[in-house]
Amino acid sequence: MIAINYQRKELPSKLMKIGVLLLGLGFILALLGYAIDHERAAFNGVILLMFVMSVGLGSLFLIGLEYLVGADWSVPFRRIMEILAIVVFAVPVFSLPLFANLHSLFHWTHIEDVLKDPILKNKMPYLNEMFFSIRSTAAFVLMFLFWWLLAGRSFGQDYAPTGNFRKVTIRISALFMPIFAIVLTFMAVDWLMSLEPHWFSTIFGVYYFAGTFSVALAVITLFAIYLNENGYLGEGIGGDHYYNFGALLFAFTNFWAYIAFSQFLLIWYANLPEETFWYLHRWEGSWAVISVGIIIIHFIVPYAVLLPQPAKSDPKRLKFIAWWLVFAHFYDLYWLVMPTYSASGAVFGWMELYPVLIALGTILILFYTFAKNKNLLPIGDPKLPKGINFHL
Amino acid sequence: MSIEVLKEPSVIEGKPTFVEIDEQISSPIDKSPNIKYLIALGITSTMLLIGVISIGATFFYGIGLWGNNNPVGWAFDIINFVFWVGIGHAGTLISAILFLFRQKWRTGIARFAEGMTIFAVMTAALFPLIHVGRPWLAGYLFPYPNQHHLWVNFTSPLLWDVFAVSTYFTVSFVFWYIGLIPDFATLRDRAKSGVKKVIYSILSLGWRFSNRHWHNYEMIYLILAGFATPLVLSVHTIVSFDFAVSIMPGWHTTIFPPYFVAGAVFSGFAMVQNVLIIIRKIFNFEHIITLDTLEKMNKIMLATGSMVGYAYGMEFFIAWYSGSQFESFVFINRAFGPYAWAYWIMVSCNVVFPQLFWFKKIRRNIPIMFVIAVLVNVGMWFERFVIIVTSLAHDFMPSSWAYYKPTLVDFGILIGSSGLFFTLLLLFIKAMPVISIAEVKAVLDGAQPHHHTHNGGRNGK
Amino acid sequence: MENKIIYGVTGIFDTPDEIISAAKQVKSSGFERFDVHSPYPIHGMPKAMRLGASPLGYFALVFGLTGAFAAFALMTYLMGYDYPLIISGKPFIPIPAFIPVTFEVTVLLASVGTVLAMLFLLFKLPNNSHPLHDTDYMKKVSSNKFGVCIEAKDEKFNEAEVIEFLKSIGAKDIEVIYYDNEALNFKVNIFEWKFVAFLVVSALVVSGATYIVLNKLMFAPPFNWMMEQHRLDAQVESKFFGKGNFSMRVAPAGTVSRNSNQFKFSGQPELADAKLINPLIPTEENLRKGMKKYDIYCSPCHGYYGIGDARLNGQFPNPPSLHSEKVRNWGDGHIFYVITEGQNSMPSYSSQLTNEEKWAIVLYVRALQRAMNAKEEDVK
Repeated sequence: MIAINYQRKELPSKLMKIGVLLLGLGFILALLGYAIDHERAAFNGVILLMFVMSVGLGSLFLIGLEYLVGADWSVPFRRIMEILAIVVFAVPVFSLPLFANLHSLFHWTHIEDVLKDPILKNKMPYLNEMFFSIRSTAAFVLMFLFWWLLAGRSFGQDYAPTGNFRKVTIRISALFMPIFAIVLTFMAVDWLMSLEPHWFSTIFGVYYFAGTFSVALAVITLFAIYLNENGYLGEGIGGDHYYNFGALLFAFTNFWAYIAFSQFLLIWYANLPEETFWYLHRWEGSWAVISVGIIIIHFIVPYAVLLPQPAKSDPKRLKFIAWWLVFAHFYDLYWLVMPTYSASGAVFGWMELYPVLIALGTILILFYTFAKNKNLLPIGDPKLPKGINFHL
Repeated sequence: MSIEVLKEPSVIEGKPTFVEIDEQISSPIDKSPNIKYLIALGITSTMLLIGVISIGATFFYGIGLWGNNNPVGWAFDIINFVFWVGIGHAGTLISAILFLFRQKWRTGIARFAEGMTIFAVMTAALFPLIHVGRPWLAGYLFPYPNQHHLWVNFTSPLLWDVFAVSTYFTVSFVFWYIGLIPDFATLRDRAKSGVKKVIYSILSLGWRFSNRHWHNYEMIYLILAGFATPLVLSVHTIVSFDFAVSIMPGWHTTIFPPYFVAGAVFSGFAMVQNVLIIIRKIFNFEHIITLDTLEKMNKIMLATGSMVGYAYGMEFFIAWYSGSQFESFVFINRAFGPYAWAYWIMVSCNVVFPQLFWFKKIRRNIPIMFVIAVLVNVGMWFERFVIIVTSLAHDFMPSSWAYYKPTLVDFGILIGSSGLFFTLLLLFIKAMPVISIAEVKAVLDGAQPHHHTHNGGRNGK
Repeated sequence: MENKIIYGVTGIFDTPDEIISAAKQVKSSGFERFDVHSPYPIHGMPKAMRLGASPLGYFALVFGLTGAFAAFALMTYLMGYDYPLIISGKPFIPIPAFIPVTFEVTVLLASVGTVLAMLFLLFKLPNNSHPLHDTDYMKKVSSNKFGVCIEAKDEKFNEAEVIEFLKSIGAKDIEVIYYDNEALNFKVNIFEWKFVAFLVVSALVVSGATYIVLNKLMFAPPFNWMMEQHRLDAQVESKFFGKGNFSMRVAPAGTVSRNSNQFKFSGQPELADAKLINPLIPTEENLRKGMKKYDIYCSPCHGYYGIGDARLNGQFPNPPSLHSEKVRNWGDGHIFYVITEGQNSMPSYSSQLTNEEKWAIVLYVRALQRAMNAKEEDVK
């Protein structure tokens, strides 16, 4: 028997206040945006949708991964992931204004043009509003279902543990993985890749996955460190756990760069006009600066900051780089989405702030609300003491 | 509050002592080869001899002895190259990546896997060498200063392969050797005969087991593991670039890099698992190379096999989505054209059979897992066959289409490459410790001091 | 008995907990020159011995960055400046294509360099004549025991005190280790004749073998088989066509080239002037054709209006104006003759223009001449 020292503390209400402030401000900007220029607001809405989907689905993936590989060190943080994953319920809400603006977003909704274009006509069985809506709806339903199966069931274990919980959840995780792969890929294809419907890339789903993993892990790291530093996670969690967060963030920064570079190099090298135009759009005018910027922001800076051994377990540096990666993911989505809206150069104004404000506000509000009256450690998990006493 | 802790199985079963570890691991080296070993060596040497004759004939008479034709200019030569490089990747994954993830179960198999990597890369490196028309002039392929200002084409993926594979070989060799130094020193101190003592003294460089040295040794191990990880990913990525940077339908697709890497790990683990099952039985290493280890390897095969399956699916979907006639044709042709037999072998061996590993009973059943791993290797060989041959045989212009048939010399070289690989492996088993003595001792129960502080080692809260 | 020089005193421990505690006690007693030996690295020992962080990370960083820079600089120089070639339409310095090689060389140099630095600089290995080799102590710590060795070079060293101290912290099998005098007295002589002879012989063997392989063996059968091929090279006497015939045979008399415009009046401009008549009528279509061809082929030297004020002014001698009395008085055939055969600096345009196009140009030139020499009634 190993004793663990945990006393439940309620999260401070200022978390909710900040969340409401951010969400409120963002909501006003969004309303104004849709009123003034609904096309631009809709494009920003795509960024918002895909960011929140990354955080929610990414958290579910990390939970499933933990069960499948039998990791010990992350068990204390699993409850944070389970609470964070609740944001999948906000995803359909953010998709509603987009469904109302499909014609502004997607060229393939312009049927007369599609019928004249043999390539787009060929894609019609897939790229049509009906099937598109069905796919998204199915994805949302699956997200809810797996939230319950992977995360929701775990809360009851705190006080009434069932003997075979872990075994069953491992099986659920195994089932979840292929479904996750398909849902994530097709949501990325539908909402991001089909913005330029002539373009295609088989690695696109993997690219969105790399960003999803990074940002989900970054948000979890932020919650974990802030909560731990303020005594919400009991005693025993420290540098060795942080090291694993740092190492994984470092590894997936590398992975993102690898996938992004692979996609770019192959298209650049073969030089086929039917593929290169997508990158050429992102080299037009000031987009070139943004494109060079993404290498620096999403790869070079996190790489350099996280490279030294001690940096990976230093909470200050981890918090900094986790925030950095959150904004890097917004930047990545901006670079994916906005060139379709504004081909001649990057546009950035007050409207581009609303996805950030709404996303961060929503995460804070949902986390705070859902964490009420819940333990922040999965105290019913038999692996928890080993997780807390984890040493490298 | 207090919670009952789950008991986790020991990495090494049976609680052997340090001296027993020394003896068990050194025993294949100390003992003379027995008849079973000699028969095995005889078989692999025969296979190698077949390869030597086939390659000799190729050098003498030229590449015309192979089945390569127009338009299938790449066939068995490149299929075998990619196959063997892929096999090598499991070794580095086990030693480097599992080390970075602090997976102790790698200890029993890391040394062996690293050795397999080196032998697989040596075997693979043969193929680019022999598939040029005049291999004795291969030195011209290196960027040496010359009066004509002639340089290699640094933008060609074939040259990137040269750098990638030679770097991979060098770094893997160095990683393997560094791991061997303490073991050579242990063998030096156990050696009775003068010759063996001299050899092990030289090979161990005079290692003294000093903790001042161990401190830096652990750091270099971490650094090498940290470099070997992106290196191994980069090697098969660059191999995939050989195909993906072209404009050939079926080749030019952005998912090739991670798809090839996942496939390499997949086939590599299958080969490692097969060889380990044989080794643990013959040399009584079952308590070190445990069933738990084998089960974990099967799980990794399941995961990487699923990634390969995902890639197949994405290629298929995008081939339709892209609207490119040529791309769609290639995929339909793969499944229903003249090479459909190869395609369905590939799909069943890579996607269907490994799904059996979802079931714990099968994951822990040695004969069945052995067979599945053999099928995986067959399937992965056929995957490279399907990718290379079907795309080349039926590319853009129907007037250029031609069917490819391998010749006996092609098969001879394939057999020879397996012969080389297994012969080197058998020699390795008799000459060096196939399990890392020092690492195994370090993970035995009771080998490390008990922790008296929370989170010693790194900066805490 | 010779006087043996003492290296240090060693003691053996049985468990990892004991060795950690022993290390701490040795360090806190003020000893600096000591070491702990174990068959595998012990967790927490660097902290117990208060060793600093390993510097190898910095080595790796420096080697890695050097490799990256060197590879990128080499490729940039070789492909961008030394012998630039256009490959696949890419720029001479295609940065994305340089990334794979740069990455590989970075990893190679960082790994190999750090390992060599560690072995040679930090560990000072290979070294097989250290006093601890071949001792019972080494045999134990390389197998199943843990040991401490306090060196005589330490300031606080006193043989009897150290032995007492080790007994007091629980060490067993305490042994005093001496230097091997033979090893100590060994002097490295870099000009040792055996070594020099070895260098000379290997230099001769290597250079000889290289010379023979590259200059003799590569030209001997079977390696030279592709050097002699059965094709006919240029400028070589042909065995097939008989003596005196070269691979490029002389055309027999009366040979006419294909698609040739056989010009009947070659060398006879006056006859061309007299005999040739423009078959084309000055319709708008023909004049437009003529204008188009004139603008392409004639205007670079003659200018757009035939005045000779061309844009090649200075690079080629300007032709005389086409509006001179002389040219205006030429027949159409004479102009056709000049286009076909050339004259003075002007080359023949037969290879670029068909006969019909030439006649269209003649029409156009006539129109230009009329335009520059217009009479009042033309305007009506």
